[in-house]
Amino acid sequence: MRAIEAGILICTECHELNKQEPDTDEQVCTRCGALVHPRRPNSIMRTWALLITAAILYIPANLLPIMTVSTLGQGEGDTIMSGVITLVQHGMFPIAAVVFIASILVPTFKLVGIALLLFSVQRHQPLSARQRIIMYRFIEFIGRWSMLDIFVIAILVAVVNFGRLASIEANLGAVAFASVVILTMLAAVTFDPRLIWDNTESDDDHE
Amino acid sequence: MPDPVDTSGLSDLPLDDLVACHECDLLMRKPELAHGEKALCPRCGYELYAHRHNVVERSLALVIAALLLYIPANFLPIMQLNLLGQTSEDTVWSGVLGLFNTGMQGVAVVVFLCSMGIPLLKLLCQLLVLLSIRWNIGRSYGLLLYRIYHHLRDWGMLEVYLMGVLVAIVKLADLAAITVGLGLVCFVSLLLVQVWLEVVMSAHQIWEALSGEDLHAGD
Repeated sequence: MRAIEAGILICTECHELNKQEPDTDEQVCTRCGALVHPRRPNSIMRTWALLITAAILYIPANLLPIMTVSTLGQGEGDTIMSGVITLVQHGMFPIAAVVFIASILVPTFKLVGIALLLFSVQRHQPLSARQRIIMYRFIEFIGRWSMLDIFVIAILVAVVNFGRLASIEANLGAVAFASVVILTMLAAVTFDPRLIWDNTESDDDHE
Repeated sequence: MPDPVDTSGLSDLPLDDLVACHECDLLMRKPELAHGEKALCPRCGYELYAHRHNVVERSLALVIAALLLYIPANFLPIMQLNLLGQTSEDTVWSGVLGLFNTGMQGVAVVVFLCSMGIPLLKLLCQLLVLLSIRWNIGRSYGLLLYRIYHHLRDWGMLEVYLMGVLVAIVKLADLAAITVGLGLVCFVSLLLVQVWLEVVMSAHQIWEALSGEDLHAGD
């Protein structure tokens, strides 16, 4: 049995149970004072909006250079992919793999994964709820790791600062990339995981 | 003990005897937990709550330790780079400044928030919440601060930053001579203490203590 069927609402912030009050739009939690809703309002539409914005920014994030490394006055732009390729060419495979996963696989997987979750909830697909919740948790957990490249740039900009001899500066691609990461994280927060379970056929599929 | 998901008459029980899963909305009878045990949702596997010993005191010790480490972790050099006789140092703060001064203000703000601002705010929120429980004052502010803490949680990214440091070290290793600084040691310690704190400070018990349901939480 779901809590919503028993007229009980869970506070999304402190997890306290509240009896649903009839005829009110703005019920607040008896314990922490946050607004409580049966489900987060407009969860699906808001998540779509964030996701589509992120998908658009994903293009410049991958095509524009994220940083420029200049040595002896000569510089060339590095995109995310070219950074990974340089690491591979220098034989640093483990670190290349980490950067590839964090900067390319994870953002792509997140965009596709959240879109799949939204589709399956909207279409009432009888897709296994267990698979979807595993996907949701994975997306929620992994999202932050995409910030890796941004932090690497911050460190490199600070440490490689030898004037004309060698210097590194950040470029516009980094702005687009950071926005993609933040937008997809917000999308994961906006999505209400309880929706995944609302359209499964029975309540007894927990075995 | 009755089956927790036995649905007959669940909706007639008082709210205090019930618990609902935050992630899948399954309604259950509230299980009794001994110290050190935790309850998982039988349907989706989400951790409903855990019951730990001396939560407030242990968490306070860890928060204070983390706050003491915060300044050296962010302002002592993480590494030093030596290139043809010139040296440069890197701290978390100088990374933020470097981005800011090269016209990447937006990215600089994001890096500042994720690696310095939000981790500090989280620790301060936790400190004030724990003090409010310990001294039994300002519980309503405590509730508000603890709500803020939960919103900030995902946005502190110390562990990702540490990974960034490692990647940067590997990338630079060919270019120049690198010395790892004391700042890195403090940063790693700060990260470990903070992870430990998140495990010890069981949210369920803090909420109950803040709302006065658990009278012995401050002991």
